[in-house]
Amino acid sequence: MPKCVIDGREVEFKPGENLIEVAKRVGVKIPYFCYHPGLSVVGQCRMCAVEIEKMPKLQAACSTPATDGMIVKTQSERAKKNQKSVMEFLLINHPLDCPICDKSGECDLQDFSYTYGDAYSRYTEERRTYADLDMGPVIKKNMNRCIHCTRCIRFGDEIAGIREMVATRRGNNTEISTMNGIPLETEYAGNYSDICPTGSLTLKDFRFKKRAWFLKKTATICEGCSRGCNMEIQQDGNIIYRCIARENLEINKYWLCDEGRFNFQYVNDEKRICNPQVHKGEGLSASRWEESLGIAKNAVTGKKPLVLIGSDMTLEETAEILNFLKQNFKDTTTFHFGTPGIYSSTNDGYEDEILKMKSKTSNLCGLEKMGLKGFEHTPVGVDTAVIFRGGRAVLPNLKGIKTIIGIGVFLQQQAKDFRVILPGLSFAEKKGTIINFEGREQKISPAIKPVGQSMAVEDVLSLWQAGELKATTESNTGKKEKVLEL
Amino acid sequence: MTEETTNETLFIQHFNEESRPLEYYLKKMNGYSTLKKALTMSCDEIINEVKKSNLRGRGGAGFPAGMKWSFIPKQSSKPKYLVCNADESEPGTFKDRDLMRYTPHLLLEGMGIAAYAIGANSAYIYIRGEYVREAKLLQCAIDEAYAAGFLGKNLLGSGFNFDITVHRGAGAYICGEETGLLNSLEGKRGEPRVKPPFPAQVGAFGGPTIVNNVETLCAVPFIISKGGEWYSKLGRLEKSGGTRLFGVSGHVKKPGLYELPSGGVTLRELIYDYCHGILDDRKLKAVIPGGSSTPVLTSDEIDVVLDVDPLMKAGSMLGSAAVIVISDAYCVVRLIERITKFYEHESCGQCTPCREGCRWMENILHRIEHGQGKEQDLGLLLDIADNINGKTLCALGDAAAGPVSSFVRKFRADFEAHIRGGKCPNA
Repeated sequence: MPKCVIDGREVEFKPGENLIEVAKRVGVKIPYFCYHPGLSVVGQCRMCAVEIEKMPKLQAACSTPATDGMIVKTQSERAKKNQKSVMEFLLINHPLDCPICDKSGECDLQDFSYTYGDAYSRYTEERRTYADLDMGPVIKKNMNRCIHCTRCIRFGDEIAGIREMVATRRGNNTEISTMNGIPLETEYAGNYSDICPTGSLTLKDFRFKKRAWFLKKTATICEGCSRGCNMEIQQDGNIIYRCIARENLEINKYWLCDEGRFNFQYVNDEKRICNPQVHKGEGLSASRWEESLGIAKNAVTGKKPLVLIGSDMTLEETAEILNFLKQNFKDTTTFHFGTPGIYSSTNDGYEDEILKMKSKTSNLCGLEKMGLKGFEHTPVGVDTAVIFRGGRAVLPNLKGIKTIIGIGVFLQQQAKDFRVILPGLSFAEKKGTIINFEGREQKISPAIKPVGQSMAVEDVLSLWQAGELKATTESNTGKKEKVLEL
Repeated sequence: MTEETTNETLFIQHFNEESRPLEYYLKKMNGYSTLKKALTMSCDEIINEVKKSNLRGRGGAGFPAGMKWSFIPKQSSKPKYLVCNADESEPGTFKDRDLMRYTPHLLLEGMGIAAYAIGANSAYIYIRGEYVREAKLLQCAIDEAYAAGFLGKNLLGSGFNFDITVHRGAGAYICGEETGLLNSLEGKRGEPRVKPPFPAQVGAFGGPTIVNNVETLCAVPFIISKGGEWYSKLGRLEKSGGTRLFGVSGHVKKPGLYELPSGGVTLRELIYDYCHGILDDRKLKAVIPGGSSTPVLTSDEIDVVLDVDPLMKAGSMLGSAAVIVISDAYCVVRLIERITKFYEHESCGQCTPCREGCRWMENILHRIEHGQGKEQDLGLLLDIADNINGKTLCALGDAAAGPVSSFVRKFRADFEAHIRGGKCPNA
């Protein structure tokens, strides 16, 4: 393999690799704004300019492929002066409103300013300002903060497949926006905020909700569809504030769709049923675990209940449920459910050319591997059903079923006719394994503690089965806790 | 080419309305005979002849034309293109306009030869939007050439197909930069591209492309007709052949176009001998030797030979050979303010130093000219210019920074007088 030297460190590279990527591998961080590994290279911000021996001018590291024997200096006097000067140029028209900017704390402009910028400004002219037009429900634009890196334009063009972000006017007056302020159309708009190196494009949903540095981050997998995009849940005080994409070049590269990104909202929703509830004639009312379990048990005793397992449940949970059924019921019919019209992975497929899959649950393949078939219609002579659900699977039409026991995550509206609801865990509160449409096994991790009295399936079933929970059972939440005895 | 051409000038003797039609070109300039000759030569022979001619690009950078052509890959999966850069937009420059206005067929023939040499079957003339009349004249000439079989399928029975399309620009200086031009030609925003890849590898519509200036292409028929050596000897310097059109403007008694041997005269000779000296017999204050983007020279620096290398040595550039002469009747601060305003206005805005720095410099210069300057402004100006120069994606940054730093360094006293006096002394 050819080799080059970056800041005195010898490094091998694949032909065609640019200097930023090669330098990263030896721990040399070349600062950049416009470059993004998932987008085309434009060499516009000039922040990454480095000195290369035998070349008279500084060269943009992003657009310069490494060559054998190349000697690169990222910290030479000239390179440093350029870094300082680019920072100065970018900041003379930036409002420096970091105290009220949502990007603050995770802002490339802020971070590089701290490292490469000057504490004093030589700029005494008036700052350039823009009037912003609305861009639809997902993204809030603040053009004054923009540094014209054009990542958003390229994202729309190259990834989202829609040229909706454009540069209008010219030179110092260049404005980056949609044409005439029409709303963003792409269903991947959240990524605009992820890739924006300043606070110019921020999520409306996250706006003024939380300072970035208070957020605790958990790497996990999106449950929005059968692709299994890698993402990060960010929470504080057991409340999820947002989800962002996590790089996985094999699955989702750097991106996340809006459906998956904002799917978390039900987790802390006040309409989510987080304590045991039973139906007593006039709608649902709060109950205690022993009472609701008793009612549930009575409801299925002597019956052949239909059992539906959402394909948003993990492999471990499903195994637990199947084991429970084997031990406690002689005769049940068990199916998986998740997306209307998708009964097996053969019905699944690409919903668009980017990430989205037709199956709107994450573990369709997993449940199929465990031998379950998709639910199509209620078997004859069955009037009782037990539904296990993670929070994402779409409840099927249960014609002919009179009594429903729900175990898992339900919103009040969804479960208003259920007999009993035993609250369970959402994807953000449990760990486990899911299998995506390509057969990749991935692990999800708990980002927050169970909301309210929600309990892992395993624990609910133990209570059901034994009437008590072994005091030291390690539940799916990874916590050892003693649960009430019946 | 008739014998007379050698005695006189290549171009200027034909600069009148009568020489425009195809008939004149065929009769008086032996038109399209060189194209016929070229079509019997091999591509390498033509390129070698151009290399021998020491023809340097007339657009501004002065890159050897023959060498540029040799960068085109012989084999290409995508079609190759020849593009004539007629976006003559450097302030002070007005030579290509006359070439297109009076000798359009010379350009077409040059393009035919060049396209044949690089293996391109289609060519574009990217002409600046303001040249409405010239675009029409070119189109007339193209129509004439098609009708006479000098353009189109199976050129002069050679089997070589060649088409030319005139494409009018929309009024952006940056589209004279070759990759900005190509983007604009493709219907995109006129913004320069990252290089490499250079246009010779990936140019118009992804195909290998050569972009040549009008004057460069107009020289080609002479080179192929009389030989590269003959053309090279027209120049007075080793690495610079042929004649050159100098467009002199500003405070001289006789401004206009002058065709002189490359490296044949000094700046002093051009101003005082050819242009009859300074207007109103005033003192010479400054000369911008190659269009507004080239660093300024003072009246003490005009004994430099007017060509690419000598001017480079003198710290300036020949650029497009547009000589702008400034007498002491004009305020140099006001001049550089105006020049900088131009580059600020024409910056495409994609790369940071140019987008931010040009406006900043313009703001400062505006303050100084209007009596609001501060002592530290001059140091700041020099530093901003240094931070732009050589750090941008294309040469527009250098074009804006070079003049500012040269004006501030060479005419510092004028700037200081503005700052101390609180107003423009000439106002």
